[in-house]
Amino acid sequence: MRPISRAALRPYVCASCRNGIGAGRRRFASATAQKPDIYDVVCVGGGPAGLGLLAALRASPVTSKLRVALVETQDLDKARTWNLDSSKFSNRVSSLTPSTVAFLQKIDAWKHLDIERVQEYQEMQVWDGETGSRISFDWSSETPAFEDLRTVATMTENSNLVRGLLGRIAASGDENVTLFSNHTVASIDNGSDQPDGPDLSAWPILSVKPTGANAETQAPSRIAARLLVGADGINSPVRTFADIPTQGWDYNRHGIVATLSLADLPTPFNNVHTAYQRFLPVLGGPIALLPLPNNHATLVWSTKPEHAAYLKSLPTPAFLAMVNAAFRLSMTDLSYMIGMSESSSEISHEDELDWRVKHTEQPSHIPPKAIGVQEGTVASFPLRFRHAAQYISPRVALVGDAAHVIHPLAGQGLNLGLADVASLSRTIEYAVSHGMDIGDLLTLERYSSERYLPNAKIGGACDLLHKMYTVPGQGPITWARSLGLDVIDKLPFVKSFLMKNAEGY
Amino acid sequence: MPTIRPQSLPLRALRAPSTSRSQSQFSRQIKLTPSVSPVASIPSKAQSHQFLRNHTTSSVSQDEVSHFSSLASSWWDPMGPSRILHLMNPLRHEFIASCLAESSPSTDTQASTSTSTATATATASPPANLHYLDIGCGGGIFAESLARTIPLDPSNPAPTPTRAASMTAIDPTTDLIQIAKKHARLDPTVDSHLRSGKFRYLNTTLEDVLASESESNPGSTSTSTSTSSSTSSSSVTHPQFDIVTLFEVIEHIDPKTTTYQSFLEKCLSAVKPGGWLIGSTISRTFPSFLLNQVIAEAPWPIGVVPRGTHEWSKFVNPPELHGWAQEGLMRLADGGVTRAGSGALDGMLWKCVGAVYVPGFGWKMVPGSEDWGNYFWAVRRGV
Repeated sequence: MRPISRAALRPYVCASCRNGIGAGRRRFASATAQKPDIYDVVCVGGGPAGLGLLAALRASPVTSKLRVALVETQDLDKARTWNLDSSKFSNRVSSLTPSTVAFLQKIDAWKHLDIERVQEYQEMQVWDGETGSRISFDWSSETPAFEDLRTVATMTENSNLVRGLLGRIAASGDENVTLFSNHTVASIDNGSDQPDGPDLSAWPILSVKPTGANAETQAPSRIAARLLVGADGINSPVRTFADIPTQGWDYNRHGIVATLSLADLPTPFNNVHTAYQRFLPVLGGPIALLPLPNNHATLVWSTKPEHAAYLKSLPTPAFLAMVNAAFRLSMTDLSYMIGMSESSSEISHEDELDWRVKHTEQPSHIPPKAIGVQEGTVASFPLRFRHAAQYISPRVALVGDAAHVIHPLAGQGLNLGLADVASLSRTIEYAVSHGMDIGDLLTLERYSSERYLPNAKIGGACDLLHKMYTVPGQGPITWARSLGLDVIDKLPFVKSFLMKNAEGY
Repeated sequence: MPTIRPQSLPLRALRAPSTSRSQSQFSRQIKLTPSVSPVASIPSKAQSHQFLRNHTTSSVSQDEVSHFSSLASSWWDPMGPSRILHLMNPLRHEFIASCLAESSPSTDTQASTSTSTATATATASPPANLHYLDIGCGGGIFAESLARTIPLDPSNPAPTPTRAASMTAIDPTTDLIQIAKKHARLDPTVDSHLRSGKFRYLNTTLEDVLASESESNPGSTSTSTSTSSSTSSSSVTHPQFDIVTLFEVIEHIDPKTTTYQSFLEKCLSAVKPGGWLIGSTISRTFPSFLLNQVIAEAPWPIGVVPRGTHEWSKFVNPPELHGWAQEGLMRLADGGVTRAGSGALDGMLWKCVGAVYVPGFGWKMVPGSEDWGNYFWAVRRGV
């Protein structure tokens, strides 16, 4: 528990325990003499989760009168005016489940997104590179004939989403909302008991100062938060202030992302778009190709750091050859190709791929060939698992990556974050309409009990999949996972149960 | 499906050890008004001791007082012994909202007296113009949550269906009132209502409230914004309120020194004609004995209520309450020599709905479960 001044603890903690908790923390009242500006909700972090929370609060008639603020280090004006040519796509792309899209529609944010830049897909092919056993996800078993297949998920660039949420917030007017763009949180402290005012000794007081050139000249603003929301990512300062421990591990894997353009396809049957994912146990993780509009696709390839460094160092044609190989060749061929040295061998990656593909039987469900990489989009990030011990503390709530970071193999990270936001905004709505203090633990426990287990479940499932599919070679685990995949693929009710779970229904 | 711990103590007084300090020299210090007076008469710390008087008609046993005084320090601990009571609080708001949806006090009053023009037209978002009295507020769980819904700017529409304009909360237990006041300062909104007088904690009894002069009566300087307490019965000089609440109180009065009948009658006399008396309590049935006495007060981890909180024999059943309320309304209408008949019950409404606590899921309103234990009830006083 974070240190709280003794006066604030008095109602909660017995006298002897109070002495222990309060010790070692002494502040001079004169140092905090300036009265803070009081807000109902202060959100640290202007990513999709933080902006989603603000947009949801502004959208509900019950909570739209709350005084809200958001602190973001980056320039939100840049995000607001983000613009990219229609043939180019950002490499930070997320897959939104239908329940996430429904939430964005409910808060009226969806119509602020550029729909030309999002791509729905109706089918997902997942297979095991070691054994070839396969599972395909679509809603065909629950769709009547001659009807369009339901969407499995919708791909959207994070920048498009952020711009849409900013547009939604702007559309709600600027009364009672303050965006501290280009500002950073210098410190978070507990407030003080004001003799002529309220007792804020258990309230978080943020000292917010501008970044950039004129940072030193401007005095920091002091804002008090009835509810401080940490949407500030994996190294959340809000979580540090609340003294909430977090558990987890690094996967020792990197995710490589890139925006690719694909070879022309025959017009997809029934206008069905497909996402592809192949597990590559010898390389340490799956490769996925997710559709974007106009024959573009985004690549997410989870692999060992040394492979990631190697792939990033390759020239574009060799990189494309590796991507295509990863969906087509056997594990043995792939481990050879990922070791090929560019300088010493005369044979290029492309030739190697062409020659080896001829001698490999190709299944019917491979993606079209990747033929181009958009310049400057190849990047990588470390994969980690984290789960905060709690999501709440008095007057503090954590959402999104501040609360949980999971393996991206199911594309659930952002969906969990926005599900947190939906739950927290519902909780705040309930509290306001029932006279509850929105920062009180009794209020916040509704949020945490709604979200903790689902997040742990999805995060754990992704972790389990990762661990099962990094066991190379033939063995009991390989055998079991293939049997499992084949069985699930043939049992429609198990499959639709899994899909509904993944969708968040 | 156990029970609640009382939020409040029975009214009337207690002989607190400190009582002798300041007894008797102040008789009618409290000024009680349901109105919103900018300069409110909030008793200062020194003043609050004035109310520690020796009350002659005590309906509270020392046992009850010492029991709740021992709980005072943990009253606001969300994980403490009062947790189940905190969890019930949102249901109180919902029950009040359902009563107001059925019959709204101020519009009725205005229709009959046509005194005010401000809120004559019922709009989509009704104004916050209801004045509340919470009897036996305890540590302020309900009173504070209702005070939080009072708009800072009175011209704003009500943010919640409870439409509170002011809240006066009374309790005879000094410890609890002090806990309540201290806790209210933790919220700037509630704190500003305390300072402006829209929200008041008084360490007093219902009897003293009824004996005090209403500031907003005819002739006095009224600052009332909407419905003043002067209505058809001009003989009423004490303050009256649109909504009087009595949550988890009635099962804690001492039946040896007072009767439920006379207690309810006093509560009803504090209700404006057209207003509601709203409460919650526990019924005295076999299932409620099992749930509230045997299971709920069992040792940890089964029990959820501190031992000794309830006395099953003091519980009351819905039909009994209904009867006392009817009798109370008729007695209030009695003249000096004539006795009022059932005509006094015109416009009276009676509502009753059970509430069930399921561990892990929380409280739920379950109509028809009144006999199981906890239930909400409400009486509307006819115009």
